Amino acid sequence: MTEPTATPSTPGDPQRAAATRQTNPVAAHPITSLAIGVLVAAAILGTLIVPIYARETPYVGDFPFFYFYLLIYMPAVALVLWIAMLLQRRLTPRQPAGPGSPGTAGDPVSGGVR
Amino acid sequence: MSNVNTVVFTIVVALFVLVACIGLAASRWRRADDMLHLNEWGLAGRGFGTFIGWFLLGGDLYTAYTFIAVPALVFASGSIGFFAVSYTIMVFPIAFIFLPRLWSICRVHNYVTPADFIRGRYGSRGLSLATAFTGILSLMPYIALQLVGIQAVLTVMGVEADSTNKYVQDIPLFVAFVVLAIYTYVSGLRAPAAISFVKDTLIYVFVIVAVFYIPTRLGGWSHIFGTAQTHMAAINPETKKPNGTFIPTSKSVGSTQLDFATLALGSALALFIYPHTITGALATKRRDVVKRNMALLPAYSVLLACIALFGYMALTDKPTAAAVKKAGNTQLAVPYLIQHMFPSWFTGIAFGAIIIGALVPAAIMAIAAANLFTRNIFKDFFKPDASPRLETRVSQWASLVVKFGALAFAVWLPHTFAINLQLLGGVWILQIFVMLVGGLFTRWFHRWALVIGWAAGMIYGTIAAYNVHSPTSSHWASSSDIVFGHTVYIGLTALVINVVLSVVLTVVFKAVKAPEGADETLPHQYTADPVDAPAPEPAGVGAAASD
Repeated sequence: MTEPTATPSTPGDPQRAAATRQTNPVAAHPITSLAIGVLVAAAILGTLIVPIYARETPYVGDFPFFYFYLLIYMPAVALVLWIAMLLQRRLTPRQPAGPGSPGTAGDPVSGGVR
Repeated sequence: MSNVNTVVFTIVVALFVLVACIGLAASRWRRADDMLHLNEWGLAGRGFGTFIGWFLLGGDLYTAYTFIAVPALVFASGSIGFFAVSYTIMVFPIAFIFLPRLWSICRVHNYVTPADFIRGRYGSRGLSLATAFTGILSLMPYIALQLVGIQAVLTVMGVEADSTNKYVQDIPLFVAFVVLAIYTYVSGLRAPAAISFVKDTLIYVFVIVAVFYIPTRLGGWSHIFGTAQTHMAAINPETKKPNGTFIPTSKSVGSTQLDFATLALGSALALFIYPHTITGALATKRRDVVKRNMALLPAYSVLLACIALFGYMALTDKPTAAAVKKAGNTQLAVPYLIQHMFPSWFTGIAFGAIIIGALVPAAIMAIAAANLFTRNIFKDFFKPDASPRLETRVSQWASLVVKFGALAFAVWLPHTFAINLQLLGGVWILQIFVMLVGGLFTRWFHRWALVIGWAAGMIYGTIAAYNVHSPTSSHWASSSDIVFGHTVYIGLTALVINVVLSVVLTVVFKAVKAPEGADETLPHQYTADPVDAPAPEPAGVGAAASD
């Protein structure tokens, strides 16, 4: 890999060091990584494989199964992705210095001066 | 203007004025020291958290056209319209895979547009030009369609003047658009971000009320589904075929399960590579904000599912179905349904919600197209030393040009033309998928192979879409055609051609050792999470030096 001159990061060394430490979180946590992969793939396939739900019966309440499934699948995907996100956090060790700084992380919505 | 309901009209105008004021005032929201910078005008300072990000992305992804066209398709053809529901589910796990990487690399290198990333990754202005060109080409008809959505509402309101003169008829649309253009010019992305709060709130209120109230007027869900099923199975005297399908069929041709799945997958792959959705995503301040929103935005898709069901409600409500049939325009299904079901004051709120729902994405699309023009055409090819200040000015003017271009589209060209182009827009934008998403994960692809794959996909998609015919129209009849005996979404077929060519030709170009181009990105930057927004100063100066 060539080293492009335009890279803005002058304090390259600490970044590099952090980078190498983080390079392979997948290898470090194979089971968690697999779980994330399975969750995300399942979320996609569950609606991509239409024959699973392209049927009229059984009715759930007044809803034919096809329509019921599509409606119920959305909150399910939301939940699955939330879990996947939490699992991903375990992969990356908390960066010690910069990011945790309270100033930026703490005010999610404030409309005031930045 | 003879048959305008004053209550409806007053409420819609009041909501519109409110939104215009918010849009103008938004320029002072989270104000930066130097507003004349693309990170400020075009990305609102790249500082939105989860909360604002949710409203912005929700307001951005779910356009007024969706609110009008999806139920219109359900009304006309039944279950195939629900591909939109499947697609808005699938899109989030898919984006969850690649969007955080795109966010990180754009943050580290201060990229404003997807084409910026392409240039940096492949060291190729030509490839970046192809991306920018595709982006602008797909966004123009998309903006025009927002206007078609507004027009549908205005038609049902009866606001179109009783004149046969086209210009007089479209005055309300002109007014809405001029106001939109002004606040976008002044406030940039801050305007749609602020307005999206109003939009999302109104849409939520309107849809929740409608979905619980309307079935009680129409004899319950079982009656709605029953009527829809009977109607879809009935034979249409014109085409001698059933009106539509109630459940996707397992046959090989028609509204099949495969057609449903490819439409959903193709649209899902396309959604988060549209420049306007990337603009929304890049405006957030942390990598986690993007991820969190992928888990939170499906809440919005639930609304879309309810909205799709409005199509069946419109079918069940006899006066609405009759009115739509008389007008010969299925786009009017939802506006007529609202008008017939609700008292005037609530109709006003619902119509206002749809109109504002069109203005938010239209503004973001114009900004995204303007940024593409400024960064990847104007700056790369005409003025490499453009200062951030000049870039912002150019973007502001470009946003006006884009908007009036779209207005011309909507007013002068037949609506079917705009709709066909939007259909094509989806096919076109999918052709940047390989270079953009592929590039996020690997530098294996050769830039020349990507260009050829892109061109082949664009050409195939355009020709295939043109050639689709039906008993009622000779061209552009649908976004699916028949490949090897199966009905499949054209965009996906074109993408497959694109991928195959890109892979094969990459092998060839690598074998002959064609020049690869410089890559200015580093592997760890794709997972980086910088706290601070890229500093304003080096953006213009430094980037210019790198060419």
